Amino acid sequence: MSELHWLTATEAAKAIAAREVSPVELTKALLERIGRLDPKLNVFIRLDAEAAMDAARAAEAEIAAGRRRGPLHGVPVGIKDIIDVAGLPTTCHSKILIDNVAAADAVCVARLRGAGAIVLGKLSTHEFAIGGPSLDLPWPPARNPWNPDHHPGGSSSGSGSGVAAGLFPMALGSDTGGSIRNPASACGIVGLKPTYGLVSRRGVFPLSFTLDHVGPLTRTVADNALMLDVIAGHDPLDPGSAASTAGHYASGLERGVRGLRIGFVRHFHETDLPAHPEVAAALESVARTLQGLGAEIRDVNLPTLGEFGAVNRVILQSEAWAIHGPWLRKRPGDYGQLARRRLLAGAFIGAGDYVQAARRRLEMIAAVEAALREVDLLLCASAMDPASRIDDAAETERTYPRQARTPFNVTGHPALAMMAGLSNNGLPLSVQFVGRNFAEATLFQVARAWERAGGTDEKHPSVM
Amino acid sequence: MEKAVIELLARRAGLDKALAEFPEDVAAAAEQASGAIARMKAPTDPRAEPWPPMRIGAGL
Repeated sequence: MSELHWLTATEAAKAIAAREVSPVELTKALLERIGRLDPKLNVFIRLDAEAAMDAARAAEAEIAAGRRRGPLHGVPVGIKDIIDVAGLPTTCHSKILIDNVAAADAVCVARLRGAGAIVLGKLSTHEFAIGGPSLDLPWPPARNPWNPDHHPGGSSSGSGSGVAAGLFPMALGSDTGGSIRNPASACGIVGLKPTYGLVSRRGVFPLSFTLDHVGPLTRTVADNALMLDVIAGHDPLDPGSAASTAGHYASGLERGVRGLRIGFVRHFHETDLPAHPEVAAALESVARTLQGLGAEIRDVNLPTLGEFGAVNRVILQSEAWAIHGPWLRKRPGDYGQLARRRLLAGAFIGAGDYVQAARRRLEMIAAVEAALREVDLLLCASAMDPASRIDDAAETERTYPRQARTPFNVTGHPALAMMAGLSNNGLPLSVQFVGRNFAEATLFQVARAWERAGGTDEKHPSVM
Repeated sequence: MEKAVIELLARRAGLDKALAEFPEDVAAAAEQASGAIARMKAPTDPRAEPWPPMRIGAGL
């Protein structure tokens, strides 16, 4: 068996069910590792060790009595600190909400607990999932376990860093313009933005109502499918919730890609935002590998990243202004500078601009739908560059927007980012797969084929 | 966007305090917004509807 901290969620759940590993033993091992590594990585805003150990002891007693709550029984999980966990503060990594204690679990957290997962605590994020990485907030920003001098992506920074560092096998994140897939890309793990409405947003602090998604970050594709099986489902009290009957997301994991038609959106990284040469080479390598496994690769054209980005920005900043306007009027100094600048922008967007963006958005959805009638899924870049140094504000400012993730917040299609290889200086490179609405199982099928061929699930940061 | 216009819009939005304490951030925000609006293409069909704001599979 692997060292306990490198057990995947699937392996841990299986070992616990077979009584080969106890939830107490696993939680203790992870807490010990967190104690050793978190001072270097800043993954946690609030570690809830005592409650985690209580939950682990309860899980152990249940297993000993022959009871198993669900498929994640006894498996620890980290929660991004914009998602409510009953009794703990939801600070959104901001002074604005520093005393905001959640009365109840968010629906996604309740579903994880219902499946037996053990909540370890609340994780670093960019302020309100938009302003970061920032050094002027009440807590320091998370760092990349592949090289702590570099940023781990965001906004679900602690989720990405902690999963990659082996502090926990799975985490919840949120994604409004790429905030699950960015840390997954920077930290070399698997991050899924599910179809819009598949996972309830109730109990998650909003950034932009029509762009917000909640999803899993894990070290393997199988774990991501397992976690999605647990958190997906209709919520009648979330007005964006979809009535999907999909599920059994791991059912096609080992089917391979023979006969699948994959549309390669090359213009994203070749002409819209020319990628770092190592990123471009990694994307070609993924496409060639999948072709070698029997998939058909076709070139596909979509609207440009500039167009998608503008529509995303106008919608996001308008909706975020509706939420933050009152605080920005009274307490502008309680935001960090990055969040303040980005959130203030909504004050300068007119109602007509917002409506235009909504109209254009429907045309963009139609364009992606048309492409997905010709192919089974899309392959494209996620990040155009490896993660920059966290202390190099100019380089972070330059490279952060160089990405191809926002298009699928605009359209709502499911999108998964994962490792495509390692750069010459040992930082993760990434690839993104995009599927038809509610076809996450096909995404996992292709992602698993690449994971197996590329051995990406066996690569862990060595500096730790 | 001209400084006077930024100040006018900011005050209309109730951002007097932000304008007094963080004038550079207000100006940067206004530039971000005008940049995004300028890059956005108009819908190709003048009859294009904006509603519903987000519904899966609701493309044209």
